[in-house]
Amino acid sequence: MKFAYKDLINLLQVKPSKELLSEKLFQLGHEHEIQSDIFDIEFTPNRGDCLSVWGLARDLNAFFGKSEAIDIFKENFDVLDIDFENHSPSDCPKISFLEIEVEEISNNYKPYLESYFSIIGNKKTNLFTDISNYISYELGQPTHCFDRDSIKSKLIFENKECNNIFKTLLGSEITLKDHNCVFTLNDEVISLAGIMGGASTACTNKTKKVLVECAFFNPESIIGKSIKYNLISDAAHKFERGVDIASQEMVLRRFVKVVQDHATIKSIKFKSFIETAEKSQLIPLNIKAINKILGTSLEDSECLGYLKSLGFDVSNEIKVPSYRNDIKTNNDLAEEIARVIGYNNIKSKPIKLKKIVFNDVSKVSKLESFLVRNGFSEVISFPFSSKKEKGSINIDNPLDSNRDNFRTSLKDSLLESLLYNERRQKDSIKLFEISDIYKNNTEIKQQKKLGLIISGRLGNNYNDFSKKLDFEYLNSLLNENDITHIFEIIEIPRSGLDTKRKDKIYYVEISLEDIPTSFFQKLDIQKKAINFIKYKPISEYPSSTRDFSFSIDDSKIVNKIIEMLEEISDEIIKNSFLFDYYRDEKTQIVKLGYRFIFQSQSKTLSDSEIKNIVNKILKPILEIDGVSIPGM
Amino acid sequence: MSNLDDIIPPATLNQPGTLHPINQTKDYILRFLAEMGFKEVHGPEIETEEFNFDMLNIKKSHPARQMHDTFYVGDKKNVLRTHTSPVQIRSMLESKPPIAIASAGKVYRKDDDATHLPMFHQVEGIYIDENVTFANLRYLIHQILHQLFGDNVEIRFRPSYFPFTEPSAEVDILSDEGKWLEILGCGIVNPIVLKNCNIDSNQYSGLAFGLGVERIAMLKYGVNDIREFYKSNLDFLTQFK
Repeated sequence: MKFAYKDLINLLQVKPSKELLSEKLFQLGHEHEIQSDIFDIEFTPNRGDCLSVWGLARDLNAFFGKSEAIDIFKENFDVLDIDFENHSPSDCPKISFLEIEVEEISNNYKPYLESYFSIIGNKKTNLFTDISNYISYELGQPTHCFDRDSIKSKLIFENKECNNIFKTLLGSEITLKDHNCVFTLNDEVISLAGIMGGASTACTNKTKKVLVECAFFNPESIIGKSIKYNLISDAAHKFERGVDIASQEMVLRRFVKVVQDHATIKSIKFKSFIETAEKSQLIPLNIKAINKILGTSLEDSECLGYLKSLGFDVSNEIKVPSYRNDIKTNNDLAEEIARVIGYNNIKSKPIKLKKIVFNDVSKVSKLESFLVRNGFSEVISFPFSSKKEKGSINIDNPLDSNRDNFRTSLKDSLLESLLYNERRQKDSIKLFEISDIYKNNTEIKQQKKLGLIISGRLGNNYNDFSKKLDFEYLNSLLNENDITHIFEIIEIPRSGLDTKRKDKIYYVEISLEDIPTSFFQKLDIQKKAINFIKYKPISEYPSSTRDFSFSIDDSKIVNKIIEMLEEISDEIIKNSFLFDYYRDEKTQIVKLGYRFIFQSQSKTLSDSEIKNIVNKILKPILEIDGVSIPGM
Repeated sequence: MSNLDDIIPPATLNQPGTLHPINQTKDYILRFLAEMGFKEVHGPEIETEEFNFDMLNIKKSHPARQMHDTFYVGDKKNVLRTHTSPVQIRSMLESKPPIAIASAGKVYRKDDDATHLPMFHQVEGIYIDENVTFANLRYLIHQILHQLFGDNVEIRFRPSYFPFTEPSAEVDILSDEGKWLEILGCGIVNPIVLKNCNIDSNQYSGLAFGLGVERIAMLKYGVNDIREFYKSNLDFLTQFK
């Protein structure tokens, strides 16, 4: 919610700087951003009482002192003769009406009202609606203005089953469904209570006689409705969090005062309908309990002083102010006291938990380490799927229809990950995922599964470069540990997939509970410490591959040449490796195949750029006697 | 002259793979919590509304329970857990204080935009014993943040609101650029939650905290876009060696 800095300090006795105000707002738990003269504050949902300048000034009272009172109309009201019935007092225990008739309306708003529009950036509509919005900002209590002349029959508040179209005062048409708290005239819905008024009874620039409705609606009666009907409503936001049940008359008196500032008033009439008298929340005085929660040793007088500064009445019991519907227990009071002291000023006290004995490394950890050592990388996928299979658990409110089931296998998401990497020029892919899988046949069953997927080259080293990852590879990897009987390696056909590659794809899925303990006993796993590397953003530019075939006459220098190649580094070299090694037994000539993959973070590399860097990095090697690249 | 047959062909090692950075971070947090005395517990991702909400004092009218925030499954019989807190409820029901447990894993919210994912990871801890206080919570949170961000990190507590803790706090650290970054939520366990778990709230009190694993991983590794973690891009994943 946006507050003008000037409005806030206007209600404070001591005028804090923006910096000090900001610091104290954070101390009180009111997260915010400052944009020049505006404090944009995000309140926690329990603090409906702070959703106004007056309410926030109350919370800041402990530090800066709030102004004594707001200027209101103090005379007695004439009684309003209104034909009204409240058919649902449990939704609306208190409601008041104010009728004002004016002669002339000034087009010039007083500075305090004008700045609500100019500084905060709200849109003007007509005087009465503008005042209603301003008062909600100032005091936190929404009011609704009906054009008095449009209310010609009995006005009823009711919670009723609706199935009709309602046109809001902002012009949108919504279809009301199920039960809604509404105001009706002759069975016609004229206002969605606590959320938005209707077009048929709204005030206009011509309105001279207004009926202002000011109520306390139960939060439960309002919650969810503005989202249901996709209406952005300041009133709903406030009623959902709870307004001050004791404030309605004061708010309407303020309303009169602001109208007086802007128009000549002909008549003022008022009537209140109170179904249930408000009850004060009382908490027995127990400072010891509060110290026990906080771990402090505060004096009684200190604690009570803090509570008084927040508007609590303190005697033998603590009386919670009517606007603090969030305070019910000593834990709540402890938080209030801690807010005024400042959480950061509460001294920390050491605790020592009992040391626990470390369990052995878990099965999952062992399995992960085994796979990582063998070149597999772990992926984590979202578990949503479009496939409805036997035992699939359906999501009632999915993000979209492609994600309306919980997956029953890791296969599809692993396949998707594999194809994604193939499209990104990866030619040797080994991925795994370990995740719980859920199925519902007669009851919901949870199983931890491992999925493995492979395609492409066996590896980049010269022994593996021209071999493929295949059935045998996967089989022997797992077979090594004698678990052949519990899994089935399947080949995933490429037909029907969005792919041009020809390499075969193999997949295997294993339930962890099926893997015998003997498998894990054979694994020797040392858990390594985490290394928080600094991540390098991935380039979105294409990579270029260059292969070089070296001919080396003297076998003795081969290892030195390889070392030199391995030491080459440059910011555009993404990867490099020895993919071919051949020694002619007769001539003793050694042929090396070495691959460089180039990629820039900032552009697509041109042929000549690559050529330049190649010449630079290979020069020292080619200067060595007996080393050449045939054809270069 | 050396014997040519002695020349050893170059080694043929292949690169190892990598564990997912989110799991690495999660395991790291769980490990140091274990060293502090928090025992790891597990629970299901598909939960009842009772365990995910009611037992945690999240009332029917709470916005989090609306269809736009929570995934409901199996004809609204269950939910995808929105936090790992129900695991702690299950553990509290099964044991007696003192209790010191940590739960970690996937959680779900009905969200999908540049900074929110429908699935992410949490680590939560809870400690219940006699005389556990807010001052103890301050101590423990400092321990955790020093472990994660070094002994010199500047820490700020702010009052906040969670239905299952009272008092509640959010905790920020000061970044190198001088900005406060929200790191975790914590508080004194609401006595209502203890009562729900058959723990005598006159005798026992507790503290609880929860961290978002993605947030910690992003800060520690310098990843700016949360979506990178779930693209399964090997150029990304293999950096986390």
